[in-house]
Amino acid sequence: MSKESESGVGSLQRSGFVVRKERLYGRLIAACAVLTILITVGIILALSGRALSFWSQISPIVFFTGTNWSPVIANSYGVLPLISGTLIVTVFSALIALPIGLAAAIYLSEYASDQARSILKPSLEILAGVPTVIYGYMALVYVTPMIDSVLPFSAQLIPPWVPVIPEFTFVMPSLGTFNALSASIVVGIMIIPMVSSISEDALSAVPDSLRDAGYGLGSTKFDVSTQIVVPSATSGIVASYVLAISRAIGETMAVTMAMGMSPQMPYFPNVLKNLAESSQTITAAMVQIAGADSLGTGPTYEAMFALGMTLFAITLTMNVLAELVRRRFREEY
Amino acid sequence: MATEETPSDQLGRTTALRLQQLKGQLFEVALIAATLVGIVSLLVLFAQISNDAFRPGTASPAWFLIYLSTLVAPTAAFTLYARRRPAVRKTNAKAFAAVFGGLLLSLVTYAVVDSLSPYDVFIYAAFASLPPVLVLAYDRTTDDRTYTGPAVPVSMIVGTGVAAALYDLIRGPIGIAAEWIMYFGLVTVPAALLVAWLTASRRGRRAGSIVGGVVAAGGLVVAVAAIAAGVNASLPVVLFSAFVVPTSYVVVRSVRTNPEGRIGVAGPFILLGGVLLGASLAYEVKSPDTFLTPNLLLNSWDGLTASNAGVYPQIVGSVIIVGFMAVLAFPVGIGAAVYLEEYAPDTGWGGRLATLLEINISNLAGVPSVVYGLLGLALFRRTLGLGTGVVVSAAGTLGLLILPIVIVSTQEALRSVPDALRQGSYGMGASRWQTLREVVLPQAIPGTLTGTILALARAIGETAPLVIIAIATTTYSPPSGLFSSGTALPLQIFAASANAKPEFRHGVVPAAAVVLLVLMLLMNATAIVIRNKYGREN
Repeated sequence: MSKESESGVGSLQRSGFVVRKERLYGRLIAACAVLTILITVGIILALSGRALSFWSQISPIVFFTGTNWSPVIANSYGVLPLISGTLIVTVFSALIALPIGLAAAIYLSEYASDQARSILKPSLEILAGVPTVIYGYMALVYVTPMIDSVLPFSAQLIPPWVPVIPEFTFVMPSLGTFNALSASIVVGIMIIPMVSSISEDALSAVPDSLRDAGYGLGSTKFDVSTQIVVPSATSGIVASYVLAISRAIGETMAVTMAMGMSPQMPYFPNVLKNLAESSQTITAAMVQIAGADSLGTGPTYEAMFALGMTLFAITLTMNVLAELVRRRFREEY
Repeated sequence: MATEETPSDQLGRTTALRLQQLKGQLFEVALIAATLVGIVSLLVLFAQISNDAFRPGTASPAWFLIYLSTLVAPTAAFTLYARRRPAVRKTNAKAFAAVFGGLLLSLVTYAVVDSLSPYDVFIYAAFASLPPVLVLAYDRTTDDRTYTGPAVPVSMIVGTGVAAALYDLIRGPIGIAAEWIMYFGLVTVPAALLVAWLTASRRGRRAGSIVGGVVAAGGLVVAVAAIAAGVNASLPVVLFSAFVVPTSYVVVRSVRTNPEGRIGVAGPFILLGGVLLGASLAYEVKSPDTFLTPNLLLNSWDGLTASNAGVYPQIVGSVIIVGFMAVLAFPVGIGAAVYLEEYAPDTGWGGRLATLLEINISNLAGVPSVVYGLLGLALFRRTLGLGTGVVVSAAGTLGLLILPIVIVSTQEALRSVPDALRQGSYGMGASRWQTLREVVLPQAIPGTLTGTILALARAIGETAPLVIIAIATTTYSPPSGLFSSGTALPLQIFAASANAKPEFRHGVVPAAAVVLLVLMLLMNATAIVIRNKYGREN
């Protein structure tokens, strides 16, 4: 240290070592943060290397338009059956989770007492915390037989004496051991908290002045909730929907265990048959390849990375979309 | 209108208004039903799974009566008694944590150290912990603390490196010592030091060293007694140090210092006594043919005979994988959160980087877990060339997976530390790092802990990435090291779900699932308890 630094002002300066130490700590911590970017880069590199090598052997057009997924037996890599399987589960689990989750969010934010909320919120969070392998097991062993005990079910929705419209019968066939219905139900249960917690945050963020204005105009609580609070929180609710659907698309163990491993194109117009039969999602196909082929070579193995790339692209798009919706349409209060 | 009613009467009697009211009530009922439907259906499924695991229907009514009178009734009575007395309730909670936490901790420690070889663990633990302890001791004697801070982690890393380098040399001589001495060093010595330090901070250095000496001597006495009785001394030593010592510490301290709540320490003993008394009374009565047997917890898997099948290697594997994952992921996650909350500038390039990091982290949290499996496959098996299905790759893959969760929860904890504390610290001349270490991080510990325990709970149930990186579904012994192959409990459940034999489908596998669920719920409960305890104090 120089002479000046020992007098007055100078003594307040830190020694060179301390300054360097502080700088080192700052850099170490920044390195931790930058590591998270490296993870994303790593995912993209890890997926794209193998996926591109796969797509150089099997053209992407064949991959994305093929209607037969049979990598081992027929050596055919058409991803549409897997996308159809994923869509079936996603749509039906969304049919369960989105309305229920939103209703739960409205209840927690607008109606529930503090005490009820303090019990219900952690209980709802548990739904998302249960390991998915246990959801899959419960779907396979308990949900399927439970539902199957009331099937096959058929009911005439429109009585035959109604003129003009031909009679329409609602038929739900009995379930196979592996079926999309039980998988959709457990995936739906599992993503309820995703919808409810993010939507509830959005609903709670609506300022009380809007509610008070509604009451002041003579509205009932029902009107205030459905016509003021929910519309004001639309962006958050839509974001929660997109995130929940993205989670359902990426869900793996439950659909692998409950829905089975037989990829097929959807039945149309007999839509309910899709629910009763086994099918395969993108994620389940990846698990099947990983479980069967641990050698690490060959197009089948590389197909797993192509599937992963597809899945990553879909979920990333949806997550970005959710974030954009939230930012773009957020009402500033 | 011709009627003479007051306006309020008019309002009250309009049919339209009543319909409105009815609509509102129906809406509320529908909302409550929607909130409950998920919880209730999960409860129904849990009930079925635990019914298959426990099979309470196979027990005779007398069995239920005995346990009702020895276990349920006294515990319920005590809980009711404690409910109205906060001091008793608090002591009761502490005693419960000491007794059952200590029991669980000692059993898990023993299982993990046993499978990793006590000699190896002892060598590495000694070399990694002695240098920092010496540095800290030096720190107390000197005024110039410029170098001691960075010296602690550096000495720890250097110590581990030295241990790895000298391993072949040391392993032979150390192997002469009896196994229990390793456990004594690993568990009893830290327990004695901890108790000594706690006592010294309250009652002075003399009392502290006496208590510490008593604990160490007790460990020796237990070991000698066990050897004299002809049993392996390792488990008794661990049980003494991690279960008896904390229990007695809590009991003695509550009885001496807390006259109002001292009765609360009886809680866990009423429960344990009830179990023992019930077992001694019920040995003649028909007990349930449960699948949650000691065999399940202590055997390895047997796909043919249900009564022999166990998940011991899987449980130990899960604990080792998740524990090592925590070591890898938490420092990085906490560091990243600290950077984003405390260091990152708001404007300029740094600010843009921080925004990018935030967006990136929220996207990483939404990436499906199978994709992390592919990353782990490429990173650990392809790039680093580790073998198939080793513990390190499993821990690393799960660590990457939970990193976003750790970061986000730590960020929230840091954000809740009031800025006035930081300003006060800066005002006293503390540097940024000193402020962080002495002021901000201690305040943020409970929130961080809650988030990290939840991340652990998530990791212990994670299956898909482990399937992708080809972790073995069934192994017959727990992993013997970090670079040996191991398996995890959820993988066994996945593999065994294909077993259609009724005693597996409605027996062993549900029992294994109950074990996994209990582990996960215990972690969640711990996190909630920590959150409630410290959330209220803030």
